[in-house]
Amino acid sequence: MLFEVTGLSKRFGKIVALADVGFHVRAGELLGLIGPNGAGKSTLFECLAGVLPCDSGAVRAGGRTVDARGRRSLLFYVPDGIVPWPAQSVRWALDFTIGFLGGRASLREEVIEQLDLGPLLAQPAGTLSKGQRKRVLLGIGLLTAQPALLIDEPFEGLDLRQARDIAAAFRAHAARGRTLFLSIHQIADAARFCDRFVLLSAGRVCAEGTVPELARLAGANAADLEEVFLALT
Amino acid sequence: MRSRRPFLWLLDKECRELLVSRAWWVLLFLMGPLVGVSFIGAVRTYAEVSGLNGTAGGVGEALSPLTGVWAPAFSACELAAVFLLPFVAIRLISGDRLSGALKLEMQQGMSPFARMAAKALVLLAGWLVAMLPPLSAIPLWKSYGGSVYPPELLTLAAGHVLNAGLTIGLAAAMAAIAEHPSTAAIMTLGVTVGTWILNFFGAIQGGWWERAAGYTPAALVAEFQHGLWRLDTTLVALVLTLAGLSMAAIWMRIGIAVRRRAVWSATIGLLAAAAIFACTFLTASWDASESRGNSFPEADERALREIHAPLSIEVHLAPEDPRRLDLEHHALSKLRRAMPRLTVRYVFATSIGLFEQTAAGYGEIWYDLAGRRTMSRATTAEGVLEAIYSLAGMPPPAEAAEAAFRGHPLAVPARGAGTLFYICWPGMVLAGGLLVRRRFQ
Repeated sequence: MLFEVTGLSKRFGKIVALADVGFHVRAGELLGLIGPNGAGKSTLFECLAGVLPCDSGAVRAGGRTVDARGRRSLLFYVPDGIVPWPAQSVRWALDFTIGFLGGRASLREEVIEQLDLGPLLAQPAGTLSKGQRKRVLLGIGLLTAQPALLIDEPFEGLDLRQARDIAAAFRAHAARGRTLFLSIHQIADAARFCDRFVLLSAGRVCAEGTVPELARLAGANAADLEEVFLALT
Repeated sequence: MRSRRPFLWLLDKECRELLVSRAWWVLLFLMGPLVGVSFIGAVRTYAEVSGLNGTAGGVGEALSPLTGVWAPAFSACELAAVFLLPFVAIRLISGDRLSGALKLEMQQGMSPFARMAAKALVLLAGWLVAMLPPLSAIPLWKSYGGSVYPPELLTLAAGHVLNAGLTIGLAAAMAAIAEHPSTAAIMTLGVTVGTWILNFFGAIQGGWWERAAGYTPAALVAEFQHGLWRLDTTLVALVLTLAGLSMAAIWMRIGIAVRRRAVWSATIGLLAAAAIFACTFLTASWDASESRGNSFPEADERALREIHAPLSIEVHLAPEDPRRLDLEHHALSKLRRAMPRLTVRYVFATSIGLFEQTAAGYGEIWYDLAGRRTMSRATTAEGVLEAIYSLAGMPPPAEAAEAAFRGHPLAVPARGAGTLFYICWPGMVLAGGLLVRRRFQ
């Protein structure tokens, strides 16, 4: 196990965004965080990454609580819908990721090839299309050095072919031991690309496990993630 | 790819963000015409009082380039610092939050104070570039045959850099606290207007309000414009700038609960208030002006230093009475520098003093030196010195004629200034802006 999350809670005034959330994350797995819109997926990622304060809860690794500094070396979070450094070129953004965020220079060319970023390198990030921006964001994430990478909606704005290529890239990085924790609201996508799942609904974790494990929990025979999800949430 | 320290990467990023900031290019563009208008007008007036176009020659015999040319020429910096620089600073601070880059950058783990320092350094560098037009007026003035006294120019430029630092600190804090740049801009301008109100209130109320008004950006710049470098105002400006930047750093830590950030901000505010209070007890100052306009003649200063007993002065004049302004500017401000143990107490019943004129004792200035008291109504430097010497029982020192500032009259038109400030500088800025635009797109 890479780390576990226990008792994570977050309120926005009277609204409970996360309530006593807990789950496990294993090394080298593709873990899907699935749930309907408003379930608290982005909030959970932001709290884990420390870009949003949580009310309570802990991240534990190796039997010990991981403090804020430890979390920064354990995981990196790529938010959805942002356009960082919009006036700078994609090439500069990738170099900045390596230079400032401590990314791995050895992966630079591989990531550019995997995400087909070559033709975009000279373009300012702000001039890219939605799908292109997403690929650049994924490139930034994949270049970072933390063992766990949290990506919010990695397939948003991508066509089927791009989604498949990127899933293959994720698989290649996971095969080297990196954990990819993906927040996905399209359950069909999650079922295609992930090994295990954390089901989040109304700020609570309903279940976690592989599709067969979840199916057993749900008491359903069919190994269809959508039916399992509906049964458990 | 170059191998650099993370902080250098951050500096590189902030420089790039400044270069693509339209607000900064607008600031640069406008500095040329702003300086041009004030410099050309100042040189024309200077020339006229120096005898140009048949005006009485010798009127400007004791005219100083500092007050005649440089203070007006550099006043463009004050205008830009109030109305243009805040937008540049807010754009640089808020940009990361708006684009989402902040969420990535803060995961690097670098101290938010270091990240804010990178922004402040780049903004300061950007401001120094914006100060090139008034600085380029110096060689122009020299080419006319004008006199340049470097210490007073350095003091004036330092005052405008300090003022810019204050603006950057304030705008940074507002940009970090407010969710949106437009809110930050309104808040920044609101604080600036607040300092103007404080100046107005200080002029009417006197007392502590007047003392507080002495530390506003406008008062700070006014002192440096007269070539006076005061340790207390300099340190207060630095404390306020650092407090603003620290608050900005705290509020950029979006991963910390708002309540905790508010507590830290309050702590910073209290520490800054304590530091400012301590600074107000520092009395050291340097008169960098060639004319020694902020000091008594050297012989008088030497004589005053011989008086060791504490001197207290009680002034029965209302805050808005012009005699009080005369007394304060021409005598007491100089006396405070020469006699740090001086205490001045103003006694008044109304703010304008119009209806106090007939009151018994109004207009009197009482001097108390080691228990000996005397009264005078004179508000000139000479009158004040005379009263003090008579109390101290010492003769006034002889005037040293050779030490008196004779001035540098110069009756020449501002040749080439229009071309430089209205055509060359805006043209260079436009060309630079277009080149940068092409480079980044």
